[in-house]
Amino acid sequence: MLIETKNLSHVYMPGTPFQVKALHEVNFVVEKGAFVGIIGETGSGKSTLVQHLNGLLKPTSGEVLVDRQNIWQEGMDLRRLRSRIALLFQYPEHQLFEETVYKDVAFGPRNLGLEGTALEERVRYGMELMGLDFETCKDRSPFNLSGGEKRRAALAGILAMQPETIVLDEPTAGMDPSGRKQLLKQIRKLHREEGMTVILVTHDMEEIVRSAEKLYVFSGGRIVLQGLPSEVFSSSRYLRELGLDVPPLADLLQSLREFGLELRTDIFDEQDAAQEIIKTCKKRGR
Amino acid sequence: MSALIEVHNISYYYALDEHQAIPALNDLSLSVDRGEYTVVIGANGSGKSTLARHLNALLVPATGKVWVDGLLTSEPENKWEIRRRVGMVFQNPDNQIVATTVEEDVAFGLENLGVPPSLTRQRVDGALRLVGLEEYTTHAPHLLSGGQKQRLAIAGVIAMEPSCLVMDEPTTMLDPRGRKEVLQTVREMNRQRGITVVHITHFMEEALLADRVLVMEAGRIAAQGAPVDIFGGDLELEPLGLEAPAIPRLARLLRAGGLDIPRDALDVGKLVSALC
Repeated sequence: MLIETKNLSHVYMPGTPFQVKALHEVNFVVEKGAFVGIIGETGSGKSTLVQHLNGLLKPTSGEVLVDRQNIWQEGMDLRRLRSRIALLFQYPEHQLFEETVYKDVAFGPRNLGLEGTALEERVRYGMELMGLDFETCKDRSPFNLSGGEKRRAALAGILAMQPETIVLDEPTAGMDPSGRKQLLKQIRKLHREEGMTVILVTHDMEEIVRSAEKLYVFSGGRIVLQGLPSEVFSSSRYLRELGLDVPPLADLLQSLREFGLELRTDIFDEQDAAQEIIKTCKKRGR
Repeated sequence: MSALIEVHNISYYYALDEHQAIPALNDLSLSVDRGEYTVVIGANGSGKSTLARHLNALLVPATGKVWVDGLLTSEPENKWEIRRRVGMVFQNPDNQIVATTVEEDVAFGLENLGVPPSLTRQRVDGALRLVGLEEYTTHAPHLLSGGQKQRLAIAGVIAMEPSCLVMDEPTTMLDPRGRKEVLQTVREMNRQRGITVVHITHFMEEALLADRVLVMEAGRIAAQGAPVDIFGGDLELEPLGLEAPAIPRLARLLRAGGLDIPRDALDVGKLVSALC
C-alpha cells in the first residue's frame, strides 16, 4: 500500500472567525512496509494530517492517494479503507467499552463480518501480537487491566482487523519507561515480522530514533524537514528553534565534536555511541 | 529544615469486589521538608498517584497516619485547611479548567473561600505574573496551548497561597516546549517562593531537577536519594520498571569501558566537560 498526499491543505471552521489553516500544501509519502516518524509541536498539523490518511477528515484542497487512487473519488469504500489503514488515537484505552477483553478486541473484526472460529483466530492474533496471553486475559474486564495492558488491549483490537498500515498517535504517552520500551518493541516487531507499514507520531525523540527509517518534521502546518533520522537530527539548532528536542545522544556527540573530539555524530544506539567515544578518547591518550 | 508533611506507616487498598482488594500502598513512611523539591518515579501501578492523593486528604489511609503542617488528614474537620495548604495539579490540563476566562479561572478557588474581591484581584494578578500568563488575563482558556493551560492550573493553585504543590504527571500530555515552560515555572516557584514541591513523573530527565528522588515499587519506597545516588551509581532500575535517562546510561557504559567519568555526569554539559 502506497499512501501519498498531494498539495494537501486543510482549514478548520472555514468562513468563521475561528478559521484556522492547519495544513498548507503538504506532500507526504509513505511507501509500503515503511516505518515513518512524524514529529512537531502541538498544533503543528501532525494529527490533522494523519486523520486525512484514512478519510476521517476531508481535504479543503489537494488530494490523498492510496495506491494512486484518490480516496475521495466516486465509488471509494471509506469503511474498507479504514480497516486497511487503522488509526490509534491518543489514550486509546478511553475507548475500551466491552465487558471482557475478548469482546472488546473482537469488536472491529466482527464489524468486518467475521464470526465463529475465524473471529476467535483474529482476536487471538491481535492479543498475542500485543503480548496479552489469550487464555488468561480474554475473560477479564478491560477496566481491571493495568494502564499498560489497557493500552495494549486497545491496540490488539485494531490489529485484529489485520490492517496493512497502522497510524499511532503518541502511543506511549503516560506509560512508565519499561511499558514504553515493551510497547515500542512490539510495534517494531509488527513492522519487521508482519511487514506492517507504521506511521508513528511522537514527542519522544529517543523513541523515534530507535524505530523510524524516515522522519517528517512539521511546523505551522508545513513539512519543514524530512529525511533519515541522522539527517534530521544533524539540524539540532533548527529543531530547538521549532520547540523540539534533540535525542540526548545526538546532542552529546555534536557537543563533543564542537569541543574538538573527532568522532561520528550520526549514532543513535547507546552501545555504539559508547564504543565511538571510548575509541576516540583512547586515541587521544586518555 | 523542618518537616511539612509526615507520613507514618500508611497502607491503602482498592476494592476489586466484596472479597478482594488490591494493596496500593504498603506500610509506607515518608517525611517531606519545607522547601524541598521531591520527584517521585515508579512503574505504572506502583502507588505514586495513590500516595499523592494522601498528601492533601483526597484519600485517607486505611492504616497509618498523615500530618500536613501538624494537621491530621484523617480528621474530617481538617480537610479543607489541608487542601488549601497542599494544592494539586493533575495530568490533563483540560480537566482542571472551570471558567471562561483566564482570570476567572484563577479566581475560582479564592471566591469559594470567600476572599474579598480586592484581595482576590491582587492574588490573581500575582499568580498569573508568577506563571508568566499576565498578558492573557481575559483570554479564553480553551484557546491556550497545553503548556499555558497547565501553567494556568498551577496559577489557580498558587493563588490559594499553599505551602506545597503536589503535581501528578503535570507534563505527560505536553510537547517538549510546554514541558519546559511548566518545569521552569515550578522550579522558580520552589526556589524563589520556597514552595515545597512533590512532583510525580514518568520522564526520568525531570527527576534530575529534584533535591530528592523517591523510587516507588509495589506501594513502597524502593529507593531514595539525590539524583546522583539514583542515576549515577549502581542502582538497578530495570527491575523496578524504570530506566535511567540516556546520559547517565551512557556514562555507565563509558565507565565500564575504562573511562574515568565522575558519578555526577548526569547531563550533556557535565558529561562533555568530563570528556574534554
